[in-house]
Amino acid sequence: MIALQARRSRRVERLALFGLRIAAGFVIVAMAALLLYLGFEGTKTFSADRVSLSAFLFSPVFGVDLGQPGSEVFVLGSLAVTFFAIAVGGPFGVAVGIFLAEIAPHRMTSVLKPAIELMVGIPSVVYGWLGLTLLVPLIRTHTSSPSGFGLAAAGIVLSIMILPTVITLSEDAFRSLPAALKEGSLALGATRWQTITRVLLPSASSGIAVALILGIARAIGETLAIQMVIGNATQIPRSLFAPTATLTTEIVTDMPGAAQGSLLEHSLFSMALLLLMMAMVLIVLVRFALRKRR
Amino acid sequence: MIQSPPVTAEIPLDATTEKLIASDVNVYYGAFQAIKHANLVMRGQHVTALIGPSGCGKTTFLRALNRMHDLTPGARVDGTILLDGEDIYGADADPVVIRHRIGMVFQRANPFPKTIYENAVYGPRIHGERDKRVLDEIAERALRQAALWDEVKDRLNRSALVLSGGQQQRLCIARAVALNPEVILMDEPASALDPIATSKIEDLIGQLTEQFTVVIVTHSMQQAARVSDYTAFFHLGEIVEVGSTNQIFTHPKEKRTEDYITGRFG
Amino acid sequence: MALTTAPSARSVAATASVRARKIVDSVATVTLWVMATSIIVLLAAFVAYLIYRGWSALTPSFIFGVPKEREAGGGVGPEIYNSFYILILTLIFTIPIALSAGVYLQEYARRGLFREIVQFSAESLATVPSIVMGLFGLLVFVYTFHWRYTALGGALTLTLLNLPALLRVTQEALSSVPDTLREASMALGGTKWQTITRVVLPSAIGRLTTGVVLIAGRIYGETAALIFTAGLSVTVNSPYDLNPFHTAETLAVHLWYTRSESTVADVERIGDGSALVLLIMVLIFNIAARVAGRALTRRFTGRAS
Repeated sequence: MIALQARRSRRVERLALFGLRIAAGFVIVAMAALLLYLGFEGTKTFSADRVSLSAFLFSPVFGVDLGQPGSEVFVLGSLAVTFFAIAVGGPFGVAVGIFLAEIAPHRMTSVLKPAIELMVGIPSVVYGWLGLTLLVPLIRTHTSSPSGFGLAAAGIVLSIMILPTVITLSEDAFRSLPAALKEGSLALGATRWQTITRVLLPSASSGIAVALILGIARAIGETLAIQMVIGNATQIPRSLFAPTATLTTEIVTDMPGAAQGSLLEHSLFSMALLLLMMAMVLIVLVRFALRKRR
Repeated sequence: MIQSPPVTAEIPLDATTEKLIASDVNVYYGAFQAIKHANLVMRGQHVTALIGPSGCGKTTFLRALNRMHDLTPGARVDGTILLDGEDIYGADADPVVIRHRIGMVFQRANPFPKTIYENAVYGPRIHGERDKRVLDEIAERALRQAALWDEVKDRLNRSALVLSGGQQQRLCIARAVALNPEVILMDEPASALDPIATSKIEDLIGQLTEQFTVVIVTHSMQQAARVSDYTAFFHLGEIVEVGSTNQIFTHPKEKRTEDYITGRFG
Repeated sequence: MALTTAPSARSVAATASVRARKIVDSVATVTLWVMATSIIVLLAAFVAYLIYRGWSALTPSFIFGVPKEREAGGGVGPEIYNSFYILILTLIFTIPIALSAGVYLQEYARRGLFREIVQFSAESLATVPSIVMGLFGLLVFVYTFHWRYTALGGALTLTLLNLPALLRVTQEALSSVPDTLREASMALGGTKWQTITRVVLPSAIGRLTTGVVLIAGRIYGETAALIFTAGLSVTVNSPYDLNPFHTAETLAVHLWYTRSESTVADVERIGDGSALVLLIMVLIFNIAARVAGRALTRRFTGRAS
C-alpha cells in the first residue's frame, strides 16, 4: 500500500518537475525570440534598404523620404534627457537613500517609505499628464521658452520618475554595510557626517553605482511621460528649453503612421534595436559593479 | 586551579592617579536596568580588568565610559563618570572630545576597508590634521606602539583587510592610540584570536600602560590575572567586589566572587 | 593642535575645531531632512492637484459612458473595462509561468549552468524598455500572426514584460522561507513536491500576494507596450466585449491618446478624469497588496509576517 502511494507521488513529482523546467526554459526562449526577431527586423534598414550604419547613427537629418534616416537627433535627445535626469535625480536620490538608512527616525521612515512606494506605482502616463498640465505652463510663464515644451520639462519629469529607484537601491546599499564599520568610526570621535562621507560612502560605492546605473536604465527606456512634454520636434536641442525628441518618443510618434515594410518602419525598428543594445550594455555594467563588491 | 599572580606591593591610593571615577552609575535599556549603582575607580597608567559571567553587564559598563550608549536609541545612563575630575555626561561635555580622549578597541577587529596607513591616520584626519609629514610620523608612532610597525612598514599602502586577524586587531589598537588618548577601553580584544596572537596582544597591553590607562573586559580569568593590576567582578549588573588583582584572586572577600573564581558558575 | 597638548590640559568641552565639525554635521543633516521632506510635499501636491482637477469629471456618465469621437461628454467605461480585462488575462499567463519557473529555480536547480542562463535571461528581459517590448509584440502578434490589435496580443506582450518582476518576487518569497521548515517536512517522509506545495508555498503566500498585487498595479498603468498591440480604440458595437481578440484600448492608453492626438472637444476634462481614476486604482492596489499580504500570512502561518 505504501509502495503504491510512493510510486504515485514519484510520478506526480516527475511530471511536476517537467512542467517547472518548461516554464523556466520559456524565459530563455522568450529572450532569445526577442533578440532574434528585433535583430532581424531592426537590421532591415541596413540590409534591405541599404543604409549604412554610420549614416543611420550620425546623420543629423531624419529625412526618410530622401532615404536618409539619420537618428543622431534622437540619440542626442535620449542622451541629453537621461543625463539631465541622472544629474539631478542621482545625487538627490543617493542623499535621500543615506537619509533613510542613517538619519531618519522611525516616524519619518514610516511616512517616507510608503510615499516612495506610491511614487513607484504611479503610471508613467500620469507623470506625463502632470508634466503637461502643471510643469509645462509653469515653464512657459516663467522662462523664455515660448511653448514650455522641451528638454527641461522632460528632464524634470524624468528626474522625479527615477528617484524611487535610486533612493531604494542606495538605501539598501547602506543598510547592508556591517554595523562595526560605523561604530569604529564613531568611537574614534568622528561626527556622523564624517562617518558617512569618509567610511560608509566609500564602502557602499558599488551599491551606489548599481543604483545609478539602474536609474539610467529606467530613464533611457521611458517613453510616454517624455513624449507628452518634450515637444516632439525633430531638431537637435540647442538649449534647455528647445523642443526635441528621443529614440523612444520618435518610435511612439511615427510608428502609427508607418507603413509596414517602409523605410520609416524599418528605421524605427532599428532605433528599437539600438535601445535594446543600450539596455543590455547597462546590465553588463551592473553585473560588473556587483562583482566588484566581492 | 589558576596560578596566583606574582605578589606586588599595593599601589598607594593617591588622588592624582584616579584617572576615571564612576560613581553610582546606572544604565537602562528602555525599562530594563542593565547596570545598578556601579562605583569604580580606574587608576592612571594601570590596567583595570572587568570580569564576570556572560551577560552580567561588563561590556555595558565599558561602553558607558566613552558614551557609546548615546548611539543606542532607548538607552539611558545616569550617575557621574569623572575623567580627571570632569563629568563626561555633564552639560557642556562633548562626546566627540571625550572619544578623542577615551579610545575603544572592539571584540572583533573592525578595520576600515582602506589602506593600513589610512586606517592608522583616520583619527587624526577627522580631528583636523592635514600635514602629511605630521600624519606620517603619527602613523609610524602608533604602529610602533601597537607592535605592528615592523610587520607592515613596507606595505602601508596595502589594504588593511589582507592582514591576519591578530594583525588587524593590533591595527585597530594602533588606530586608537594614534589619537594620543588618555584611556583605552578594550572589549574582549583577544577573544576572536588564536593563542599566539592573544599573547602578543597581552604583551602589548603591558607596554601600553607606560602611557595609557587601560580598562579591559575579559571573560578569561587567566587573562585578567596575567595582564591587570586591578580587577572588578560584575554579577547581574552590579559590581560585587573590587580590589587589586592579586587580592581578588587569592583572597576574595565576597562569596559570589569566590564562587565565580573557583568555577562554581559562569 | 589638540594632539600635541599635554593630556591633563584638555577638558571635556568642545574645542573650536570640534565645534566647526559639528556645524558641518548639522548643516548636512538639515539639508538631508529638507530633501526628504520635499519628496513627501511634492507627492502630496501631486495627489492634491490630481484630485482638484479630476474630481468634477468623475460622474457616472464618465465612468460608465462610452467615448465619443468628436463631441464632448464621452466616458471611459470601455477603457476601464479593458484595463481590467487585459490585467486579468495577463495575470492568467504570467502567474503560472513565473511561479513554476521560480519554484524550479529556488527549490530544484539551486546551482548550475541552466539556472545561470535562466537568471541572465530574466535579468535581460527585465531591462527591455516597454516600448521595445511593444514593438516586439507588434512584430509577432500583429504582423506575423496577422491578428491586428487585440487584447490577447496586449496581454501576451505584458506577460513578457512582467515575467522577470514576478519571477524575482517568487524567488525572494521562497528564499524567505527558512530551510528548517523544509528539513522538518522531509524528515517526516514528505517528498520534495509535497514539501513545496504543503509547506513552502503556504509560508510564502503573503509575500507572493503582495508582490502579485503590486505588479498588477503596474500592469494596470502600462501604456507603451499596449499602444501597438492592443490598440487605440474599442469595438463600437460591443464595448464590453469578452472576445480576447477584440481591440482593447485601456484607460492608461486612452489618457495618453486623449492628450496627444485626440480631436475631442473636451480633452482636458477626459484627461483629468482618467488621470484621477488611474491614481485611485494605484492607491487601491497599493493598499490591497499590503492588506492581503498580511491577512494571508496570518491565515496560513499564524505568524505576523
